[in-house]
Amino acid sequence: MKGILEYSQGETVIHRLNPLSKMVIAFLLCLSSFANNNIYCTIGIIVVNLLMAYLAGIIDRAFSLLITLFKIGIVLFLLQVFFIRTGNTLLNLPFNLYITDTGLKFSIMLVLRLVGATMPLVIILTVTRMSDLTNVMVQKLHIPYKYTFAFITALRFIPIFENEMTGIIEAQTARGVEFDTKNPVKKLKLLLPLCVPLLISSVKRIEGSAISAELRGFNLRRKDSGYKTYRFIGLDYIAMLFSIMILLTCIIIL
Amino acid sequence: MIKFDNVCFAYDKNNILNNISLSVKKGEFVAIVGRNGAGKTTLMKLLNGLLKPTSGVVTIANLNTSVTRTSELARHVGFLFQNPDRQICRNTVKAEIEFGLKCILTDNADIEKRCRNTIEKFGLLPDKDPFSMSRGERQKVALASVLALSPEILVLDEPTTGLDYKECMHIMETINELNDNGTTVIMVCHDMELVADFAGRIIVVGEGRILDDDVCRSVMSRPEVLKEASLAPPQIVELAIKLGKGFEDVFTLDEMTGIISQRAKREGCIM
Repeated sequence: MKGILEYSQGETVIHRLNPLSKMVIAFLLCLSSFANNNIYCTIGIIVVNLLMAYLAGIIDRAFSLLITLFKIGIVLFLLQVFFIRTGNTLLNLPFNLYITDTGLKFSIMLVLRLVGATMPLVIILTVTRMSDLTNVMVQKLHIPYKYTFAFITALRFIPIFENEMTGIIEAQTARGVEFDTKNPVKKLKLLLPLCVPLLISSVKRIEGSAISAELRGFNLRRKDSGYKTYRFIGLDYIAMLFSIMILLTCIIIL
Repeated sequence: MIKFDNVCFAYDKNNILNNISLSVKKGEFVAIVGRNGAGKTTLMKLLNGLLKPTSGVVTIANLNTSVTRTSELARHVGFLFQNPDRQICRNTVKAEIEFGLKCILTDNADIEKRCRNTIEKFGLLPDKDPFSMSRGERQKVALASVLALSPEILVLDEPTTGLDYKECMHIMETINELNDNGTTVIMVCHDMELVADFAGRIIVVGEGRILDDDVCRSVMSRPEVLKEASLAPPQIVELAIKLGKGFEDVFTLDEMTGIISQRAKREGCIM
């Protein structure tokens, strides 16, 4: 099974977009999630994200991402909903806890914004080759390669660390550590000792990566080193215009 | 001890294993061989419940792995991974061995005793930091922490990868000793020399199914099966196959020299 941010190959409309316009679209959709205060509007942005994933042929991965984000969202929701005390009380609970209409709306918006802002970035990065993203950032945005490389490496390491963590959890479960427990608090406590092997393997990988980059002439790379050109086509303008319209709609609704 | 009954496994609708049926008796030393991506590691992970079969039943020490938690199966199955760094998570050898024991045992005196015995048996330095050790030593620490739990079944996923000959032999001899004392050993390995030296039975896996399952000697003498699994027999077996008639049963260096000596004597040559 493919992990988060792992490149999904394809020739879809979304795949064919210029990497830079893909990033602009993702950024605009992120911004749209924060530029409105309307629950239905934010749900609409999530639907647009799912539509984008469908067009990119990664709807299964988008749904599994949605579920993961909602799981994180539940924790955030619970942390928020009991601590916002302004507004009209909707529900009284034991231990002097109560839920207000303001708290409920704020908490729902927080979860929806988390989902709406995270999804476009993940979907876009899943259908964009990191090498293309690097080249376009250097060529079009004139960002020095050194900084682009640092940014791309950070993104590239996410699925690697995810796989590493899965391997570590498997190794620990196989020796009797109860990661297969249903108690989330116990699971969280058990995760702490695993930081050691993850840290060790991360440092080793980063060191290896730095050495191989040096050996492949990292410092010799310039703006014109890439042989591929990234031209904007009609589809890029249409997609960006559509994203700008979504953002403007969100601002108007606000 | 181990039973696979019509086991199928699929990742994201891709069939990895199809209708695997096999059984392993207590005290056997089984090597699982096959090309990369044949499904060996999947087969191993089904053994200790890290993966649950899509259909069929895997039974380990009378426990159905589909309904038994991996952490519970760990009392019966010890699993040594290819990469020891995924297993080691403590700052000293002693703490590392104790960590596994504490997951399964509650009696502190027993934990202490088992830990001390394991450290002595493996000749380890209890206060040494495992992360400052060589790859071979770290694999030894990982093996020690698995064996401290005295599992009935020991599963090894390419345990000697990246080790030099001396380190490799030390690990394999320790495993062999355990096998002699009744521990069932299942090992995934690409090194056919090592398989020939230690395993009693070979299961050849390819295209998600079992291509062959027989005693070591029989499997090694079937080049068509080994070829299908992208494997080469040990050099001595390869030589015996090329020499042909009269050398069919040759499997070890001693057997080869024995036959050559006999022939030389028969034909009046001085050896």
